[in-house]
Amino acid sequence: MTVQMTLTPAETALLDALDGATGWRAATRAALENRGLPNKRDEAWKWTDLRRLTGNITETGKISIAGSREPDAKLPVTHAPTDMLPRLAGALGGEARIYTLSDGESLSLDLSASAGVGHVIYVVEVPAGVSAQVFERLSVADGGFANIAVLYRIGEGASLDRIVSTGDCPGILALSGGVDLGEGATLRQTTLTFGGKLIRLETHLAHPGAKAEAVMDAVYLLAPNRHADLTTTANISGPDGNLSQLTKGAVASHGHGVFQGKIHVEREAQRTDARMTHRALMLGERAEIDAKPELEIYADDVQCAHGNALGAIDETALFYMRQRGLPEAQARAILIRSFLAEPLDRIRDPQIRDSLLEDLVTGLEVLS
Amino acid sequence: MPMLEISNLHASVDNGEKPILKGLDLSVPKGEVHAIMGPNGSGKSTLSYVLTGRDGYDLTDGKVSFEGEDIGELEPEERAARGLYLSFQYPVEIPGVPTLTFIREALNAQRKARSEDEVSAPDFMRLIREKAAILNVSMDMLKRPVNVGFSGGEKKRMEILQALVLEPRFLILDETDSGLDIDALKVVSEGVNALRSPDRAMLVITHYQRLLDYIAPDRVHVMSAGRIVASGGPELAKELEAEGYDKYVRAA
Repeated sequence: MTVQMTLTPAETALLDALDGATGWRAATRAALENRGLPNKRDEAWKWTDLRRLTGNITETGKISIAGSREPDAKLPVTHAPTDMLPRLAGALGGEARIYTLSDGESLSLDLSASAGVGHVIYVVEVPAGVSAQVFERLSVADGGFANIAVLYRIGEGASLDRIVSTGDCPGILALSGGVDLGEGATLRQTTLTFGGKLIRLETHLAHPGAKAEAVMDAVYLLAPNRHADLTTTANISGPDGNLSQLTKGAVASHGHGVFQGKIHVEREAQRTDARMTHRALMLGERAEIDAKPELEIYADDVQCAHGNALGAIDETALFYMRQRGLPEAQARAILIRSFLAEPLDRIRDPQIRDSLLEDLVTGLEVLS
Repeated sequence: MPMLEISNLHASVDNGEKPILKGLDLSVPKGEVHAIMGPNGSGKSTLSYVLTGRDGYDLTDGKVSFEGEDIGELEPEERAARGLYLSFQYPVEIPGVPTLTFIREALNAQRKARSEDEVSAPDFMRLIREKAAILNVSMDMLKRPVNVGFSGGEKKRMEILQALVLEPRFLILDETDSGLDIDALKVVSEGVNALRSPDRAMLVITHYQRLLDYIAPDRVHVMSAGRIVASGGPELAKELEAEGYDKYVRAA
């Protein structure tokens, strides 16, 4: 028996946009019609109900991209991404923008989305041996649903510092990132988000082992009625790889933080060193944080660890600081800032690091 | 008028479920150093927290006046700005906050609360260098996060250093000698004695008489079961050292 699903207006509008599609686009349309947009019945989306929150967004929106330069090429998307959202971005986001980075390049991309539904897809190539940096800043207006897909291809021995920061986001943002890491390559990724009506930031790392190193750090600070979901998967397929993940968060009452991290170590991936830590502060009794760290290990000679800790502000430290004369709000802000700063302190570019730390302080002022 | 006047103080913890202070009277005049001695569990640390306004330590009856003002309802930071300072028995570690930054922000927060100008960065550095020298505290230590990785002695020196910089009107020293070897005790005591002044008073809370060899009190009070049960001159501390608290515990 097939249960007929009632489509939301947003889904209907997407199906209309895909009318007459062929090939994988037609398959995408069929899958959407059958399963709908990701929702809480999907295991990977059980804490982030995109379907419900996008429900009535039907008009077409626009995502403007202000980059430090133009893309090197724009190419039609010929291969289908795997998951629903990047598939939709590929099917409806027009041609893919291709950025091929040169050694020492620092590329910045500011993506701002209007109200309505917008899709964008872009590809960043870091050729073998090249060291480069990309700084992506994203914002979505009220009533907007921005569906952004990006693929990073980091060549052999190349090195990429990727910094992702979401600014003001009263709307809905889904950023799906795929990263193909080459042998001996390095990824240092740091994400800072203050959440939105709904923000989902995904990174899917294909890690070859092979002396490649990946760092995926993140910070979230959520005011009331803000939602941020940080989801990562890492598949480590060969020996001698490194992966380190540190995510820190703080959530006020009526804010909702989600961390899902999965590390899959294949049988061949001997001598993998993989660590994943998630630590978060509940800033009020009605704060909600859901965390699901997972390690799946099929190799027998590995060093893997994961840790997950949720807590409240240290009341003893708070009293100590107030006893020295610091007002309560200031003492709280200092404690939260010092707790959250650690992943940001590791950003190598001093200007970007300082700018994100400033954003963090501003975010704390808004909170108090 | 005494600088600190405590009358019939009752206080509880655990949301009023557990009375600790049961009618405590004490007055400390300006310029004097008073010691409170007593066995474990007599309520000494509770008194220090009630005086400084810690959440969870509820004043249920009686009155605490500081320089004529009833401070029983003030926030901890308001009491700090009025000049009340607690040197903690167990100073708290604050990872990620450099000690220098912390002390400067505390000083400026207090000055702001008193409508005084903030201290400029160069003036602050001059001030802290001068005070750190008294306590053998290095600049390297001051750059480290507050109390993180410090030994017991280093933490206590930091407590006194903060007092030297903040220049409170009234100091409460809670078991400042605990965890100190004899050399550290001497250094810390010198710091405390440098703070003695006709305009300032102190309450030295201690289990042992040892600290009072270095910080000579004007008056000694014995606390037991949440009250002051005896008061006298410095000779009372010697008597307690020789005879113990037994007769006061029984008297209470």
